[in-house]
Amino acid sequence: MSIESKPRHSVGKAMKRKEDPRFLQGKGNYVDDLKVPGMLYLSLARSPYPHAEIKNIDISEAMKVPGVKAVIIGKDLEAAGLGWLPTFHGFDKQMVLAIGKVLFQYQEVAAVFAESRAAAEDGAEAVQVDYAPLPVVADPFASKTDQVLLRPDRDSKTNHIFHWEVGNKDGTERALASSAKKIKQRIWFQRCHPAPLEPCGCVAWFDTMGRLQFHVTSQAPHVYRTALALVTGIAEDKIHVVSPDIGGGFGNKVPVYPGYVCAIVGALKIGRPVKWIETRTENLTSTGFARDYHMDVEIGATPDGRVTALHVATTADHGAFDAAADPSKYPAGIFGIVTGSYDFPVAHAEVDAYFTNKAPGGIAYRCSFRVTEASYAIERGMDILADELGMDAVELRQKNFVKKDQFPYPSALGFTYDSGDYHNTLGVALEKVGYKALLKEQAERRAKGELMGIGFSTFTEVVGAGPSKHFDILGIKMFDSAEIRIHPTGAGIVRAGTKSQGQGHETTWAQIVAEELGLDPQTIMVEEGDTDTAPYGLGTYASRSTPVAGAAITMAARRVREKARKIAAHLLEVGEGDVEWVDYKFQVKGVPAKTVTMKEVAFAAYTNMATNEPGLEATYYYDPPNMTYPCGAYVAVVDIDRETGEVKVRRFLAVDDCGVVINPMVVEGQIHGGLTEGFAMAYMQEIQYDAEGNHLNTNFADYLVPTSAETPRWETANTVTPSPHHPMGAKGVGESPNVGSPAAFVNAVIDALSPLGIRHLDMPVNRDKVWRAIRDAEAGKTGAAVFA
Amino acid sequence: MKLQYTGEEKIPVAPPAVWAFVSDAEKVARCLPDVVEVAVKDPTHVDTVVQVAVGPVRGKFKMAMELMPDPARQRIEMKVSGGGFGSAVDLKAGADAVDAGDGTTLLKWSGEAEVRGPVAAVGGRVLDAQAHKVIAQAFANVRQTLIDLNPGGTPGAQGQPA
Repeated sequence: MSIESKPRHSVGKAMKRKEDPRFLQGKGNYVDDLKVPGMLYLSLARSPYPHAEIKNIDISEAMKVPGVKAVIIGKDLEAAGLGWLPTFHGFDKQMVLAIGKVLFQYQEVAAVFAESRAAAEDGAEAVQVDYAPLPVVADPFASKTDQVLLRPDRDSKTNHIFHWEVGNKDGTERALASSAKKIKQRIWFQRCHPAPLEPCGCVAWFDTMGRLQFHVTSQAPHVYRTALALVTGIAEDKIHVVSPDIGGGFGNKVPVYPGYVCAIVGALKIGRPVKWIETRTENLTSTGFARDYHMDVEIGATPDGRVTALHVATTADHGAFDAAADPSKYPAGIFGIVTGSYDFPVAHAEVDAYFTNKAPGGIAYRCSFRVTEASYAIERGMDILADELGMDAVELRQKNFVKKDQFPYPSALGFTYDSGDYHNTLGVALEKVGYKALLKEQAERRAKGELMGIGFSTFTEVVGAGPSKHFDILGIKMFDSAEIRIHPTGAGIVRAGTKSQGQGHETTWAQIVAEELGLDPQTIMVEEGDTDTAPYGLGTYASRSTPVAGAAITMAARRVREKARKIAAHLLEVGEGDVEWVDYKFQVKGVPAKTVTMKEVAFAAYTNMATNEPGLEATYYYDPPNMTYPCGAYVAVVDIDRETGEVKVRRFLAVDDCGVVINPMVVEGQIHGGLTEGFAMAYMQEIQYDAEGNHLNTNFADYLVPTSAETPRWETANTVTPSPHHPMGAKGVGESPNVGSPAAFVNAVIDALSPLGIRHLDMPVNRDKVWRAIRDAEAGKTGAAVFA
Repeated sequence: MKLQYTGEEKIPVAPPAVWAFVSDAEKVARCLPDVVEVAVKDPTHVDTVVQVAVGPVRGKFKMAMELMPDPARQRIEMKVSGGGFGSAVDLKAGADAVDAGDGTTLLKWSGEAEVRGPVAAVGGRVLDAQAHKVIAQAFANVRQTLIDLNPGGTPGAQGQPA
């Protein structure tokens, strides 16, 4: 392990994850493990057509299937006022079950409830739907023409969903026009899917008190509770949402899906519990995809490589419904981070989104709302600019980095970067990877006709949504929360509004509490995901847990400490003002021998509190003053087989700066996972549709997930520039490797191919694409076939 | 997934008999490989149930078939639509019964199909070859059935006594 941290009492130590023993022994408690007496199973009949009018739905054959208890279709839900559900950022609505027509292949058409899962699936197959196919729009650029109107249900009779822009348009145009050097490149971040190991699912029932019990794979259980109350009209106190162990989320488990609504409606209508667990195909074809941004990147520069302006115009494919889980003020998320780590004097970014006959989504797949797309665009753009200038890509970056003394740095697109030392982080990467030696080796190999590439990505992230004045979901402000109770023996429990899906919160949150209170992290229990017990929070996604909930936990612990100080003063028989917190103990000022531990104070809080209020607990709702800005310098070294196009990642070094590291082992694990996902997107993954709107990647044979056999060996290191506004100086790391790595992988491939005149290839840069590019280049077709 | 097919079948039976056969919806339907049920709605419309197996995807398809015979051109147009287990198939095909001049008939056929859903997605790699095989088998069945119905060949056909 090479993520380093200065160990303190608990923070900074590579403590083994407390949750792992149960996972490693197969004792995790997932939604599909839940069995409730009398439980029915739900299966959804789905449309094979991407765009078709529904002439008739005949459920009679389905009802004859043994075990089938009920079938619900869109008209039933519409009659109950539940035909549509609002999408999370509030600008669109989504059919629960198709009403009138279907808008994408695998759209939910009918819900079948049966005594067994097999009977439910047989029933779904028996639902007879008479479709009249309609013209299909599978391309956002074709959607722009409005020749086929996809959403006549909307007031606005166009396929155009929104236009969003930020920055100085006129100034950018002028600066680009007067720039001595310019590049322009269309860069597509392909449609991807988070593909968590555990698909989405739920169990819904109404208990004897008439209260909805809803166990679900949710990254944001409290938001679900509120959303369900708003959609169903059930009073919020009559809804209990529980997110048990979750087998990966990556943004896929933020939205509310039609299956959830159908399960609740079925439980209400039939009066029995209902379980819905989607299949892998359902997960890949109908739940939130990510990316699908076509980005036209223009960068201006001086002849010596000083950037002068950036313009990015994006065409976004949002699918059939605008179900992107973005904050309401930010329909394109935080794409404004597209200036990256570079000091652009002026910039302008704009995004136009369109409906197509594809699955809805645009979720933040392990990134903070479109940050991965932005990072990829600027990091590819900088490499293309370096090629245009004939400059080393590292030198170009170093020349244009925001300097250490510029922080807090106001970016041209409106962010205030809190901290960073980009030159240092890249410097560590160059030294550890041995850049000079690699350049020498590359020159020697190129002389022999071999294809070796070195790719960099020096990204800046923006995470920790958010300051409540800017960020919300369905109008609910994006703060987060923590409640800490210290028991008489000095053990305790911390509850938070977040929900771990593999991030290791049970360990990390315990370490924070232990650090602040001088307690043993092994005796601090962490509980999340139960809306009856956890304080209200916005959940875990967008790398916001440590920046927001981690801060809330820290502040709640400090409130506990302040109360403990009063009891300590009583125990030490001095005034409260004479007590100080030194070396994780309360001490009488100037008398190091006279101390009392937090454990002793905790016991006194229940047994000898004098005039103080009994008990030792506190709650804190944290509204961050700014976002945090993790950064990194990633280096990929690849070798390409000229004959087969096979790309081999020889080395990959990730130097991250996520501020203060709470648990280096957990951070290391997060980086390994994110790099593996970045590797998959760069080289393997794309959700494809053919021109007729057929989904072509419905299973793991067609949508590839890397195994240990393909995954490179990861090298990691870190630098530390603490966040000045986070109470622990932490910034978050969960998404950095996913955000930063795709560009490094692709830049390395393009660097390897650059002697052939190849300047850009869109992801995934798989063997077929690389082989074709090499053959085209050798045939002299490079300009037409490869330059976009 | 769009699929296109063409082919021809030489049938040692005279054109009138071939025409009479291919313009009978029930007879054509019974030539579909792995047909399970045939329900005649009228002379040109039948509903069928066909056992489908494409790669790992196996199940029954319910298909509605409509024949549109054009006696003047000795051409039969066919529209088949239906599906099963979440998949859909829309097929348009045409066949010309061409008099070979020797008492036999050349049945020249072409078709275009759109396949959607798990059959197309999961069976995608083998679908084209499998569909081609099924269609070719259907016309081979037409040929064989006609031969069986006319065991001595059609009087007047080449090699047969007039």
